[in-house]
Amino acid sequence: MTHLVVKDLTAGYGDARVLHGVGLTVGEGEICAILGPNGAGKTTLLRALSGMIRARGTVTLGGADLTGHPPDTLARQGVAHVPEGRGTFMPLTVEENLRLGAYVRRRGPELEADLDRIHGYFPVLKTRLKQAAGSLSGGEQQMLAIGRALMSRPRLLLLDEPSLGLAPLVTRELFRIVQAINAEERTTVVVVEQNAHLALGIAQQAHVLETGRIVLSGTAEEIRADEQVAQSYLGYRV
Amino acid sequence: MSNPTETDAAQERTAAPPTPPRPAEWWRSARRQWAAAAVLAAAACYAPFQLVPFHVFQLTMVLVYAVALLGLNLLVGHAGQISLGHGAFFAVGAYTAAILFDRWALPYPLTLPVAAGAAFLLGLAFGVPAMRLRGLYLALVTLAIAIFLVPLLKRFEELTGGSMGLTLAKPAPPAWSGLAEDQWLYFLTLVVAVAAFLLCVGLLRSRVGRALHAIRDNEGAAEVMGVRLSVHKTLAFAWSAMFAGTAGCLYTWVIGFVSPDSFTVNLSITLLAGLVVGGLGSLSGPVLGGLFVMFVPGIAQDINDAAPGVIFGLLIIAVMYVAPTGLAGLAGRLLRKIPRKE
Ligand SMILES: Nc1ncnc2c1ncn2[C@@H]1O[C@H](COP(=O)(O)OP(=O)(O)OP(=O)(O)O)[C@@H](O)[C@H]1O
Ligand SMILES: [Mg+2]
Repeated sequence: MTHLVVKDLTAGYGDARVLHGVGLTVGEGEICAILGPNGAGKTTLLRALSGMIRARGTVTLGGADLTGHPPDTLARQGVAHVPEGRGTFMPLTVEENLRLGAYVRRRGPELEADLDRIHGYFPVLKTRLKQAAGSLSGGEQQMLAIGRALMSRPRLLLLDEPSLGLAPLVTRELFRIVQAINAEERTTVVVVEQNAHLALGIAQQAHVLETGRIVLSGTAEEIRADEQVAQSYLGYRV
Repeated sequence: MSNPTETDAAQERTAAPPTPPRPAEWWRSARRQWAAAAVLAAAACYAPFQLVPFHVFQLTMVLVYAVALLGLNLLVGHAGQISLGHGAFFAVGAYTAAILFDRWALPYPLTLPVAAGAAFLLGLAFGVPAMRLRGLYLALVTLAIAIFLVPLLKRFEELTGGSMGLTLAKPAPPAWSGLAEDQWLYFLTLVVAVAAFLLCVGLLRSRVGRALHAIRDNEGAAEVMGVRLSVHKTLAFAWSAMFAGTAGCLYTWVIGFVSPDSFTVNLSITLLAGLVVGGLGSLSGPVLGGLFVMFVPGIAQDINDAAPGVIFGLLIIAVMYVAPTGLAGLAGRLLRKIPRKE
């Protein structure tokens, strides 16, 4: 069953158009990987999906129209965006960061339960609750960013290069957790990633974006088997 | 004074290895905070009976400025915006109280909510440009408000008394209190200042405070987390103006006289300087900044009558050199040097 439907999406900055009619669908509870070279518009695509920049076209999530709404409205509709560079609130503590994640849900007894849930996925955060988020390591900050996004109980989780700047071992661990989150909470995930191996390892389907257009779509296996992709993103010939 | 050095502490934490919080430690620090608050409250109630009236007046004015800085701190220290025109909101509060008093003979306690409300609404109006502008652009627009105000006050002479200003009777101490006028004014101001302080702390601990901090620290991330930037940026301005207007009303009560020349651009700039010197984003910063705004211009005048501005500027530079996170940060560092009993 399709959950996220994107049709003919165009977006850009000022006069410069970056996305030229992007279309894709993601099934409910699936992970979708977006691959592509630097400057292809991957980050721009996620920004358009979370409303950070204005976009034209249609975006629906579970049948509800999301097109053209401001980001805070989309956050209330269940879209959580872990932005490029993680968007950590540096001077605030880890706990304050996490509580901000639940900002759209107002308060409630579930909030504490959610904190426990996040600590389950990322035990290291529990030992750092009162520490300034800016003092976390890069990997910990990425975990915090994902944990914070989960605090809003999203229906759609957008991850922008979670592996950026992390050691391979940490990256693998992070992807394992993303997979676990997806499996346990049935959250639909769109992940932009340079590390195509890892992304294709957890995704059901993938799209290759080049200069603002999707040039290749398929299941993770199909994309992995593609000669062009293998050369450009996996670093070997099939 | 629950956390006098938030920013300073954050830096400290950046350097220090992670220490999981220990409940015993928290309890001890909470107890110390209550003890400090109790000592402070006792001193604040005792002081006016020990000081000569002029010093009581000075202390009262420190509190008046502290209330204004509480508001400015909300905007600059917590919401990450800037205002070079807060003297204007202060003036609006002062004039609103004075005019109500002068024209309609409103009992003075009633002038306070009206003055605060008027400043709030004006802040809301000026918060709209703040939604779109930032940094130097916002600084310029707010500076324009301050520049604009003095001629405006002089222009509407029938209402404002023009350049002559308005002279008013100060609130008289009721007979039951047995207080002298200066003491009565001091306690009035103290009550309002404490209420303003508690309101501010409450605001910062609420969802609003969390939203403001998020906007200050990372606007884009705050936005995707569902924080309505436009609403909170505008409201931060309005809240902030409300505190400044409240302080302005207290000013009218205490001084009993308002004139356009009391509220020039200089006031706005001194307020901002006072806040930065006191300690941006900290709870004790506004009080330390109030001391600065009250006393340092006078000290500068004493040192060199010919060029008080130069001395004033040099004093700011000297303080910022010694205490880059403001006096609150410096105080926090010194306090931490005192060995603690285990
Ligand atoms: N804030 C911005 N203002 C103007 N142009 C921008 C902005 N952000 C990105 N661009 C432009 O949009 C294009 C796509 O950028 P985008 O960040 O979406 O690429 P990307 O696929 O995420 O690349 P990378 O893999 O390097 O992160 C680039 O040409 C870039 O110059
Ligand atoms: Mg990118």
